[in-house]
Amino acid sequence: MKQGLKQRLQRVVPGGGDQELAERVARLEREVADLRRHNLRLAELADVVQELLVPMAQRDQERVDAAIAAFQDAL
Amino acid sequence: MLDLRVRRVDADGVGLVVLGSDRVVDVLFDGRRIWSFWVRRDTEPGRGAARPVRRVGWPPAMRPHLSGTGSVTLRDHVSGADVWSGEVRFTDDDRRVDFVDRQGHPIALDKANRFSPVFSERTAADLDPLLDAMTELLEVLAGAGVAAFPAYGTLLGAVREGDFLGHDSDADLGYVSSRSNPVDVIRESFELQRVVAAAGYRTYRYSGLAFRVDVVEADGATRFLDVFGGFLDGGRLYLMGEVGTPFERDWLLPLGTVSLRGRDYPAPARPEKLLEAMYGPSWKVPDPAFKFETPRETTEVLNQWFRGTGHARRDWERRAAQRRRRPVPKGSSALAKQLRRGEAAGTTVLDVGAGRGRDALWLARQGFPTTAYDFAPRGLEKARRTARRRDLPLEVRALNLDEWRWVLSEGARMSRAGDGPRAMLARHVLDATDELGRQSLGRLASMTLRGGGRLYVQTWTGKGRGGAGLVPVRTKQVQKLVERHGGTVLDVSESPGGGSDGGKGSVGRVVAQWR
Repeated sequence: MKQGLKQRLQRVVPGGGDQELAERVARLEREVADLRRHNLRLAELADVVQELLVPMAQRDQERVDAAIAAFQDAL
Repeated sequence: MLDLRVRRVDADGVGLVVLGSDRVVDVLFDGRRIWSFWVRRDTEPGRGAARPVRRVGWPPAMRPHLSGTGSVTLRDHVSGADVWSGEVRFTDDDRRVDFVDRQGHPIALDKANRFSPVFSERTAADLDPLLDAMTELLEVLAGAGVAAFPAYGTLLGAVREGDFLGHDSDADLGYVSSRSNPVDVIRESFELQRVVAAAGYRTYRYSGLAFRVDVVEADGATRFLDVFGGFLDGGRLYLMGEVGTPFERDWLLPLGTVSLRGRDYPAPARPEKLLEAMYGPSWKVPDPAFKFETPRETTEVLNQWFRGTGHARRDWERRAAQRRRRPVPKGSSALAKQLRRGEAAGTTVLDVGAGRGRDALWLARQGFPTTAYDFAPRGLEKARRTARRRDLPLEVRALNLDEWRWVLSEGARMSRAGDGPRAMLARHVLDATDELGRQSLGRLASMTLRGGGRLYVQTWTGKGRGGAGLVPVRTKQVQKLVERHGGTVLDVSESPGGGSDGGKGSVGRVVAQWR
C-alpha cells in the first residue's frame, strides 16, 4: 500500500523534487555512516602506533616481543 | 484474576485468555522461577480463535529440559498472585523436570532467554566474590582516571531493591569519559582494558566501547562483569550499548553512592535520570522479561561509531562451544592436501579461521609447523590438546579479522618469527566474514607471506548449499583482493559441487603468492 502510493507519486512527479531529495538524504546518510566508521579505525591505528612503535624504534628485541605479547593479551 | 485466564499448560506451551492490559507472568517449576513472559507482547493469537485467546510456545532453550512431569505455577509478577498451578506431563519419561547445569547449579532463563545461574539462586558466599570483584575493578578503573559505577540492571537492582535483580545473570559497570569524541573514548577504553588485564583479569572486547571482565566465583563458576563506556557531547549522553539521550553533566557528577547487598558503590548524582534513560519512565516497575526498545537512531549511531568488531562472532562461539567436546574430525580437506603437495616440508603454515582444527592438526602431523587461528578459539581446544599429547608442532592463537589491532600486531609478531618458507590456509573464512574481515585477511597475507609465501583460499561461490553462516564469494573477488594487497594469483579453479570435499555447494579455489 505504502509502496503503491510512492509509485503513484513518482508517476505524478516524474524525477520530481521529493524523489531527488529522498535520494540525496539516503546518500548523505550513507556518507555519515561511512565517516562515523572511521572513528574506530583511527582509534585502532593510533593505539597500535602508540603501543608498538616505540619499542620497535628502540630495536630492543626483548622489549618488542614483550610489547606485542602485552598488547595481544588485552585485545 | 478476571482479566487473565489460563486455558492450558502442556508440552507445547501455554494457552491464555487475555482481556486486560499487557503484564508479566512468571513461570515456576517446583516453586522456582524459570521463565517470564509478557502476556501480549510475547504471545500470538490462537489459531482460528477469537482475539483474546493467545498462546506462547516454550522457549527453544527450555525444550531439552522438558522431559517427564513437572509442577508448574504461573504467577503474576507484580501482584505475586498465582494465575494457574498444576502438574504437567511433558513426556512419558518417569522423571521430574529439573533445571540445573552440569555442575548441578540451579539455572533459569535470563532476559535474553538464555540459561544461566541467576542471582536469586546464589548464596552470600557465591555473590561475595562478585561484589569484591566489582569493588576491586572500580578501584582499578579509578586508578586509570575513570569514575565508574554500577550500570544497567546492576544499578536498577541497587536503586530499586538494594540487591541484584533475581532474574539477572551478570553485573554491569558504566563510566562517562571526560573526553568528548568517539576516537578518544575508544582509545581510552582500549587503555582501560590493558589496565584491567594487567591487574590479572581475563578480558574480552565486545566493541570499541565495551569489554567484559571474567570473574571466577567461590564455586568455580565464571561470572561476567561488563564495562560500558560513555561520553557527553553537545548536551547528549551516549552510553554503550543502549543510551543516546539529552543529559545534564550534573545529573552524573559529583558521584553519589548506592547500596548493593549492604555495600556502598558509586552512583550517578541522579541515578533515576540515568535509569530513565536506560529503561524508560516505567523503570520502577519490575519486569523480568524486559526488552530494550532503543530508538533506531541511537542504535545506528552506536553501531556506526563503535560496533562491527566481530562479524557473527556469537554464532561461531556458540558452534565452537557446542562442539568442543567432540573429537576433531579425521582426515583433511582437499585444500590442505593441495597445500601439502605445493609446499616444501617444514614450511610454516598459518591456518586462518581454523574452526575445530581438523586441517591444522593434519598439517602438523605431516610435519608442517602450524598455527591455527580463530576468533572463537574455544573450538580449537581439542586439537590443541591432541597436538600437545602427541608432541605435534601446532600452536593455537586467537585472531579477530574485524579488528585491525589483532591483524596488525599479529603481522608484526609474525614478521619477527624466523625466515623459513610460509604458507597460509584460508578455507571458508573469506565467505564467513564481512568486507572488513576480507580486507584484513589480504593485509595479514601481505604482512606474513612477503618473500615468496603462498596463500591457499577456498570459498563457497554461491550455487547449492554453502554451509551455516557463509555468503558467496566468487573467485574474481578473491583475485581482486589478492591483487589489491600486492599478491600474484598463481592458480584459480572452480568446481560445481564441493569438488573432492564432497560438499553440496559450488566452491572456488585460489592460490596466490607474495614476492
